[in-house]
Amino acid sequence: MAASAGPRPGWSRRAQYSLFFSFLAVVGGLLAGLIMLILSLVAPQSYAVVRGAALDVTAPISGALSEVTTTVTGLVGGAGDYWNAANQNGQLKRERAALMRRMVEARAILEENQQLKAALQLRERTEQAVAAGRVVGSSFESPRRFAVISVGSSDGVKIGMPVRAPEGLIGRVIESGMLASRVLLVTDRANIVPARILRGGQPVISTGRGDGTIDVRPLEVGKNPFKPGDVIITSGTGGLYPPLVPIAKVIRLDDDGAIAVPIADPARVSFAIVVPPYEPAALEVASRPDSGTL
Amino acid sequence: MVRSALGHKTAQIGRGPRLGADYVPAATVVLGSLIAVLPIVSARGWWPDAGLLMLIGWRLLRADAWPAWWAAPLGFANDLITGTPIGLSVAVWSAVMIAMDVLDRRTMWRDYWIEWAIACVIVGLAEFAQWRIAAIMGASVPLSMSAGPSILVSVLCFPIAAYIAARLDRWRLGR
Repeated sequence: MAASAGPRPGWSRRAQYSLFFSFLAVVGGLLAGLIMLILSLVAPQSYAVVRGAALDVTAPISGALSEVTTTVTGLVGGAGDYWNAANQNGQLKRERAALMRRMVEARAILEENQQLKAALQLRERTEQAVAAGRVVGSSFESPRRFAVISVGSSDGVKIGMPVRAPEGLIGRVIESGMLASRVLLVTDRANIVPARILRGGQPVISTGRGDGTIDVRPLEVGKNPFKPGDVIITSGTGGLYPPLVPIAKVIRLDDDGAIAVPIADPARVSFAIVVPPYEPAALEVASRPDSGTL
Repeated sequence: MVRSALGHKTAQIGRGPRLGADYVPAATVVLGSLIAVLPIVSARGWWPDAGLLMLIGWRLLRADAWPAWWAAPLGFANDLITGTPIGLSVAVWSAVMIAMDVLDRRTMWRDYWIEWAIACVIVGLAEFAQWRIAAIMGASVPLSMSAGPSILVSVLCFPIAAYIAARLDRWRLGR
């Protein structure tokens, strides 16, 4: 194929000038882009309104499409359930009996726990959800890991609030529109969560790796404390994330830490629950743009 | 002399550019950006940058698909839709248009493989810029883990974008 239209549009002065001005305009566009980029690096807050508005426009589309996909997968899954209903029934009955036994044990432990806590005079904060929504989308092509949830500032969501699912921690809100918010997932490199190992309670730091896994490292240098299968939970240090929320499960050890996969997979969780920060004072720190550590 | 009205069905009579043909290319770029609206939660971020691929596909096909400065507003829309730092696509896409203008002056001819190679270079540089900006914003992921696979997937998806652009170009001009 021959090269497309050359630099000189002919002898017409008018055409030459218009080509020249369009060149000036694209250079202007480049400069404007660079200035906007520097502004979004230095002061990301300046775009909060326009980003929120964009979220409000796109998230309902994602939400509607995600309703369609869940309905379709639900229909397929529902038909599959009928296929082996008898088998499943027997299995569920056995599981239910086992769960009943476990529940009685758990209730006994809970009561004992309450008595012990009362004896220690611990102040128990009730964890109340601010809002609950669906995960409707995510960043597709980027080293960053964001998700979009279908609740926004009209539901009381504020920037910096932790987001969790019934299964475990998802991340924290970094942008919020009226109807939707963007969440920095725990798998993002910039999201650093103070945590501890459920078994033994040793304090660790959890950092995303940007590829769907999480890097966990112990705070103290020494023997590698992790074992494959260990569950990592939030410690509540820093005051933003509530304590005792599961974050990840260790799958592989490396030299001084371990690689873990998040327990609440944003692709599969049914609901994302926005909860207030554990210590209200932590919200102001968390809503600052450059606060990776909390 | 062949009379058009008496000719066979492929005769050119009564056929011409469709309504709004000038805006079809830019609209497909925005549609490419809108792929990010699909309710898919990606754990790795290895999806191709569809907006950029459509932009390159159109620009390689025609120099006059849109006035060059349209790249800035198109990039702004891409930034807003996909959630990349505002200004990144504006700058990168404008730079792509300038680079392609320079390239048009320098090259004597192009074929399929040269166009693919050009697309490889542009996509690679764009991904690298995005990776670098993410590192500045506090997410310093190793290059091989995020940008590498993403570049590969985008490069492999480029022929699809080029095909869509070529077919739409024939459709919009009524050929």
